[in-house]
Amino acid sequence: MRSFKQVYQEALGILVAVVIALLCGFVVILATSSQPMDALSSLLLDPVSNLFNIGTIVNKAVPLIFTGLALAVVFQSGVFSMGAEGQLYIGGFAGALAGVYLHGLPSWLHLIVIFVCAMAGGALFAAIAGLLKTYANANEIVTTLMLNFVAILTTSYLVNNVFKDPTSGGAARMKYLSPDLLLGRPFAGFPAHAGIFIALAVAAIVYLLLYKTKLGYELRLVGKNGKFARYGGISTKRVILSSIMISGALAGLAGIVEILGIHGTFKDNFSAGLGFDGIIIALLARNHPIGIVVASLFYAYIQVGAQTMQVGSDMPREVAVIIQVMLVLLVSSQAIFHYMKQKFRAKGGERHVA
Amino acid sequence: MWHSLWSQTLDLTLIVVLLRYMTPILLAALGGLISDIAGVINIGLEGLMLVSAFASIAVGSATGSWELGVAAGVASSVLISYGMGFFSIKMKVDIIIAGFAVNIFGSGFTIFLMSKIYHMTGNYSPSHPVNIPTINLPFLADVPVVGKLLSGHSLMVWLALFAVFFCVLMIYRTPYGVHLRAVGEAPAAAKSLGIPVTRIRYSALIWSGAFAGLAGSYLSMGMTSMFVKDMTAGTGFLALAVVLLGNRNPVGILLGSMLFGLASAVATIVQTTQGSAVPSQFVQMIPYLVTICALVFFEVRKRRRSAGAVTA
Repeated sequence: MRSFKQVYQEALGILVAVVIALLCGFVVILATSSQPMDALSSLLLDPVSNLFNIGTIVNKAVPLIFTGLALAVVFQSGVFSMGAEGQLYIGGFAGALAGVYLHGLPSWLHLIVIFVCAMAGGALFAAIAGLLKTYANANEIVTTLMLNFVAILTTSYLVNNVFKDPTSGGAARMKYLSPDLLLGRPFAGFPAHAGIFIALAVAAIVYLLLYKTKLGYELRLVGKNGKFARYGGISTKRVILSSIMISGALAGLAGIVEILGIHGTFKDNFSAGLGFDGIIIALLARNHPIGIVVASLFYAYIQVGAQTMQVGSDMPREVAVIIQVMLVLLVSSQAIFHYMKQKFRAKGGERHVA
Repeated sequence: MWHSLWSQTLDLTLIVVLLRYMTPILLAALGGLISDIAGVINIGLEGLMLVSAFASIAVGSATGSWELGVAAGVASSVLISYGMGFFSIKMKVDIIIAGFAVNIFGSGFTIFLMSKIYHMTGNYSPSHPVNIPTINLPFLADVPVVGKLLSGHSLMVWLALFAVFFCVLMIYRTPYGVHLRAVGEAPAAAKSLGIPVTRIRYSALIWSGAFAGLAGSYLSMGMTSMFVKDMTAGTGFLALAVVLLGNRNPVGILLGSMLFGLASAVATIVQTTQGSAVPSQFVQMIPYLVTICALVFFEVRKRRRSAGAVTA
């Protein structure tokens, strides 16, 4: 277990990176906007100015928590999967199929079946990349990137040609799920759907899995030092395969919760990069489940802020991309964090001497 | 559908379309190859191409000169790939993450500029577009089969084919190429021999940016005369796949790009014919599946070879 001081240092470093990234965004706004103050206030204040926007932040954070967790699990085992996007599609698709085409179940049981199907879909699809990695030694970065396209194109074909609701026009989708299956909005006047509770519960489960179980320990050990783990009698193949499949199940959950909470059914191309946003979330949170909840809310806040800024000023919402890119680069810069640690240590040492 | 596919094969339209689709894949893949050989996996090709596509058409249509457009595209792409090198080499950001960041940047920043400069959000087509010229060969153009096969292609198509030749020479026949390969295969050994590892890595990324830049300017000033948001639509990832499919060899990459160009061309024909029997999504999927199979094949072969070496 890392000491409190280390965690504190790391968190401080990430906070500094976040502030610098935000400043980069501000500089761009100041340089290109004709009403920079309006733009800044609509970016920073409007997202939290009313309940509706706060609810939107929560709704946007929900799928990010799931994909962030999905990637945190594989990253912790040292596997650089970029396949959450594809697994999310397959999982969402499998769940939506179960939702639309199964009949006669009581809705609580039906929901369980839907969730199980979504998780199984994501996990089995992820297993392809896992098997390719463990048994054919195929680079997981490349296979997962390729499999994303396979998943998106396959589901696109199926929803356009086989399971298409005849009443949907150019934008193909399945039949809508029955309303009693959808995730409701537990608070009147607040648009957040119940997915946030599932997300928080799953984050807690992933935390327990990673830090309080044998599998979690093995998984982190394999990620830290694969050779050592194998020498210590851990079957690295089994551990890596399980971590990729757990990750796929979590990505599948992201897909189905997004469908049950927002879209109401499987729509062609519904994700628009949630799986890739998950990579940013996992990097920001240093793969820690609790950090992922915080990072997702922050990321969603920036996204909603970008939208309110587009409405409230002359700036397009893509300015947020500059903030995102700087975040990714600064947070994952080992040079900066190494430098900071040394500074910290030097300062601590002086104090010790004095 | 089979009929139209067959007739388009016979009258060589398929070949012409294939060459059009092959060119950006080939150029970007050669860029990916050079950085890959130096041990730097560049997954940011997609973003580099987008930046270049936008810069090319913006500068090209503003100045009325396609040469300046291409130069601007290549320059912007080189600049971004230098930045990528700075973050990955100097700031020690994992190269995969740096490439990932470049992809987000390329997609978002081009949309940002498009809406700031032209007040458009989806696409921008200049009122006076300039294009990379097509090469019409004077006498051959009138010869029935050869004419269609060789004449009337964009200059960039020829440049891409020439680039294969250029890469073979550079990688296998120059001291610089030896340094590139040494840095990729054994950086520590290369360093001990006095090869400037850091500088070679930077230069490899810059080559990568230059080729991706050419690919990008062809997208907006050759294949089309407009910029569409996210117009690369996975071409950069196809290029990345081609690098592996071609087994990190320029000629292999040429063949791989032709295969992927063919798949794209067939997918387009399938999409545009009514009531086709084969869904276009499956044709589009072929390159990705082929790449996965090829990856497995190369790995198995490598393992068998090293197993043979141990027993021998």
